Amino acid sequence: MGILLRIIGMASHYPMRLGLAYASALAAIGFSLALPWLFGNAIDLMVGRDPDTGKFIVQDFSMAALIFFGVGILVVSISRGFCDFGRTYTTESLSQKVSFDCRNLLYDKLQNVSFAFHDKEHTGDLMSRATADVEAMRRFVNMGMIRSLDVVVRIVAIPFILFFLNWELALVSMIFVPAIVLRSTFVMRALRRKWLHVQQVMGESVTVLQENLAGMHVVKAFASEDFERRKYNRKAEELRVEYFDAERMQGTNSAWMTLYFTFALGVVLWYGGWQVVDGNLTPGDLAKFFLYLNQLTFPIRASAQIINTFSRAMSSGQRLFNVLDTVSPVSERANARDMGRPEGHVRFDKVGFSYQDRSPALREVNLDANPGQVTAILGAPGSGKTTVVNLLPRFYDVTDGAITIDGADIRDFTLQSLRHNVGIVHQDVYLFSANIRDNIGYGVKDATHEDIERAAKVAQLHDQIMALPHGYDTWVGERGTTLSGGQRQRLSIARTILIDPPVLILDDSTSSVDVETERQIHRAMVEVMKGRTTFVIAHRLSTVREADQILVLDKGTIVERGTHEELIRSDGIYQSIYELQLRPQEEVLLEAAVPAMADGRAAL
Amino acid sequence: MMRGGGGMGGGMMRGMRGTSADSMFAPSNDNLTDEDVVGRVYDNRVVMRFMTFIKPYKGYALIALASLLVYAAVNAGIPLLIKYGIDWAVAEGEVGRVHVIGAAFMVITVIHFLSNRLQFIFISRTGQHVLYDLRSGMFSHLQNQSNAFYHRTPIGRIMSRMQSDILQLQETFELLALALAELVTVGAIITLMLIVNWKLALVCMFVVPVLTLIMMYWQRFARHSFMRIRRAIAMVNGEYNQNITGVRVVQSLNRQDENMAHFRTLNQEYLDANLEAARYSGMLQPLVELLIGLGIGLGVVLFGGWLLQRDALEVGTLVAFAFWIQRFFEPIRQLTMQYSQLQRAMAAGVRIFEVLDLDPDINDKPDAVALPEVKGEIRYNDVTFHYVEGVDVLKNVNVHINAGENVALVGSTGAGKSTFVNLLHRSADVTGGSISVDGHDIREVKRESLVHQMSMVLQEPYLFSGTVRENISYQNEELTEDQIIEAAKAVGAHDFILDMDNGYDSELAERGINLSIGQRQLISFARAIAGNPRILVLDEATANIDTHTELLIQQALSRILKGRTSIVIAHRLSTIRNADKIVVLDRGRVAEVGNHDQLLEAGGVYAQLYAINYGLSGPSVDVAPVGGEVIGADGLSPAAAD
Repeated sequence: MGILLRIIGMASHYPMRLGLAYASALAAIGFSLALPWLFGNAIDLMVGRDPDTGKFIVQDFSMAALIFFGVGILVVSISRGFCDFGRTYTTESLSQKVSFDCRNLLYDKLQNVSFAFHDKEHTGDLMSRATADVEAMRRFVNMGMIRSLDVVVRIVAIPFILFFLNWELALVSMIFVPAIVLRSTFVMRALRRKWLHVQQVMGESVTVLQENLAGMHVVKAFASEDFERRKYNRKAEELRVEYFDAERMQGTNSAWMTLYFTFALGVVLWYGGWQVVDGNLTPGDLAKFFLYLNQLTFPIRASAQIINTFSRAMSSGQRLFNVLDTVSPVSERANARDMGRPEGHVRFDKVGFSYQDRSPALREVNLDANPGQVTAILGAPGSGKTTVVNLLPRFYDVTDGAITIDGADIRDFTLQSLRHNVGIVHQDVYLFSANIRDNIGYGVKDATHEDIERAAKVAQLHDQIMALPHGYDTWVGERGTTLSGGQRQRLSIARTILIDPPVLILDDSTSSVDVETERQIHRAMVEVMKGRTTFVIAHRLSTVREADQILVLDKGTIVERGTHEELIRSDGIYQSIYELQLRPQEEVLLEAAVPAMADGRAAL
Repeated sequence: MMRGGGGMGGGMMRGMRGTSADSMFAPSNDNLTDEDVVGRVYDNRVVMRFMTFIKPYKGYALIALASLLVYAAVNAGIPLLIKYGIDWAVAEGEVGRVHVIGAAFMVITVIHFLSNRLQFIFISRTGQHVLYDLRSGMFSHLQNQSNAFYHRTPIGRIMSRMQSDILQLQETFELLALALAELVTVGAIITLMLIVNWKLALVCMFVVPVLTLIMMYWQRFARHSFMRIRRAIAMVNGEYNQNITGVRVVQSLNRQDENMAHFRTLNQEYLDANLEAARYSGMLQPLVELLIGLGIGLGVVLFGGWLLQRDALEVGTLVAFAFWIQRFFEPIRQLTMQYSQLQRAMAAGVRIFEVLDLDPDINDKPDAVALPEVKGEIRYNDVTFHYVEGVDVLKNVNVHINAGENVALVGSTGAGKSTFVNLLHRSADVTGGSISVDGHDIREVKRESLVHQMSMVLQEPYLFSGTVRENISYQNEELTEDQIIEAAKAVGAHDFILDMDNGYDSELAERGINLSIGQRQLISFARAIAGNPRILVLDEATANIDTHTELLIQQALSRILKGRTSIVIAHRLSTIRNADKIVVLDRGRVAEVGNHDQLLEAGGVYAQLYAINYGLSGPSVDVAPVGGEVIGADGLSPAAAD
């Protein structure tokens, strides 16, 4: 209930629209209720009943009175039309405004909340919150808040009028209404479960499809097309059966609903006609009964849907507010100050970290990097390398100890100034759907083309960009040209060069690249590291060798530290990593055998 | 109602430039087009084609159609019954007749209900069968496409055809059925009105032409407005998606404020588009009400009253007309709302049939025979291959591989190594020359019988969701438990599989991502040898994996190569050195063939590379440029490139 109140609260930010919506809805109801009344009275004006024979007789009526009714109906209709317009427009705009606000809030929350949140949420799920759940909320504002008033007023008012006209007939014709509303509410519940199930089967079939398409090379390599067909057809068949089942249920429910209204018309004709013959009901009142009953169709059909928007809004609202209420564990202190431009002296002082009540990912990490020094971090997957570097720009906050830059705790600074000074070169960088120029200039608001070109040159990327048909205007990212892993990495380097941070993190766990690319990446890396305090997650012997210090992590603690020469002699983990991983890289050299692709175009 | 999901993802924006950069890949002339909704409202070819899919379910469709017609007719006829109830029974004061009519009405009610239910069920039954056939047909067809097709067609584009386009068709299918019912109802109402009292009917309907004109005019704006909504929501969702997937970059580059501002403008556009649409669709309401008012107020009450006064009309007719006029406008309003849906459906139809019309790249010849069990002798006879005419990826390749021989394939990126092995299992067919296995030209045999005797291990292990067992027996579902375990043991995967929660029945997540990359690699090894293939093709992995698994893999490798003909795209010197035969590829040509010692002795390309690369112990990157010069000097015809 609190959730619904909260949605209502969001809607009441627009009191004008809300008030207008209610007012026009009520006015529209008033006009539409007047219509059968006028029509019925017009009939009674024209036709009477001979008390002796029981037959209808045309009465002697004045044309003026008839004109009054005719024009009255016209005016009422038009007025109702305008009120309806007012209601739909204000309702729609109110609900759209609420979902607009909601999308903005969500977007802002998502881009500011810490990595810890994104680690555990799936993109697909967050997307469905932004689309389906926001839509469910919008529908609630539309149907649940405004339409429901309309429905409730009609469902109360029409029976009231009918009872007033002839209570016996009203009772006979409407006795089933509560039952029908109840029944259809239950059916809708069941239907919702059915549709959820259909969605689930649909999801499964999509998974089969997606895996098949993404793994087509495997399918081909094993000639398992027929096997895949059978696998998919099984799911598609299940989907067909479930879908049909749900639709049958829905159709049957709708047919029952229609049956009731046809039946009620029949009852009015039969019993009502009898009453007229007996003289208990005028012909005009009989006509009113028909028309009012007709007006009841929509509200009763809609009521089950409306009841459903309530339950959907509750679950969707919950999902949305869960995100909106997330408090990012990484937040600025009240007195956070701008960092300025530090020298770049980085210290980790007994740093410990654990991801959400799991066993600690880092323990007692001590580290001291002087301005301009290069620190290489090595370790098996899961040993905590990435965690170490993610703590520095405060993508996560340490849970123990402290990190300082130039002697000051990084939590004392504003996030923006800290991150401006700590650059990251991702290994497989994310490309935004934009051209190359904008992708390089992504972190700098007013970068000129010259700046961008210079950065690309330093990153050894300029020539390859120029080789593209549209140069810097080439569209990349979703639906654009794809860049190779090496090129993406250098693009990320160019981004960082443009920002020019004194502290730098390089994620260099590139897997297989050919030697030419390797050489270019290495050059770019050497360039970007110049004069910056650098942390490298390294897999490349060349990088590791040149580091001022090497840290070897194992299960969250630093087990070895020193230079290449020191560690190679120590017969520890580093030595075995060197033997098994770093040295074999030299063997990969044969890859370079024929550097036909030296111009680099082959990789694009 | 609760279908959900239909609106989004159908097609994102079209704004992309310069996709032609990947000249390396095959031509894009038969690529799936990437159009948005620009289609017509009615496209005869699409509809006719769709009809062929309904044909197998003619029976269902006919029942659906018949019950739909009955339903619509009864719908229009009910006011007529009311009219007779009033005029023939009530107005005459005859209670007996009232009972007759009342009972008749109840019978009609039952017919109404039954026909209503029947049409729902059979429309859905027909529709779901057709959708199954479309899905299954598209999927089946996609299996026939070559790797080249998948190389140039983004998966997302195919996915959207199989999801949102099919959903669009489905919605439209139901919509069309409803629209048909509405049309029949309107037709029946007009007919009945004219029969019952043509004068009153004409007076009441004089507004219809006006309505039609206004609708047509209104339609233009409304359509534009709905398209605007679709474009706007695609932008909003695209930005959302980008923001979520790119959040790490956004935060590290401090882009939140700019992004928020950008998003606000997109969101605002979506809001404006919706408000515009609300204005357009809302505008119809006063209009329809006006027409109803004119029809009932001026037509039925005034003109009808005038007729009544002259005894040219009965009172029941007035009531019936009031019903008819109200029902008359409702379908018209509904139909116009669905206009844009129709348009979307036609576009979806075009896209779906485009997939169904893709030519399969590789087909077995009609007289293809099953390849008998082979020993594993492979011969490349003067093989040439190109994706694009004039740009040969392989040129006059002649290689002979004896049964049981272990061949290392060496060459730079783009030298044609992958193409070399892909031709062997007919991912594509040679464009010149031939490849034979045990003397059989591989194009003359059934592809399946060929591929089932060879196996492939890819650099990036790709597993399917399902159990470990299912993954290992992927090629042959009939493998016994023992064979599966034997394969796992042979590659050293048995132990860690047993350590998993349910052993061989442990479920793998999508693409096996709940395993480490090394474990995935081992399972893919097991999968490759489980069927005991005679020929093994292997792309040696270079990805970084932890040291322990690395060792396991190295050991497994030597075991699985034993006793089979194998072709390894080799990256490690140890693999190359141990090979029986080394094939050095250069820009699509075979530069050298021989074993390690022979090639060293020959003093050719391989020897020089070996000397340079292996002789030096310095960082590889420093060596590369030197190597480049040496090769160039060696005259490996750099000019021949391109």
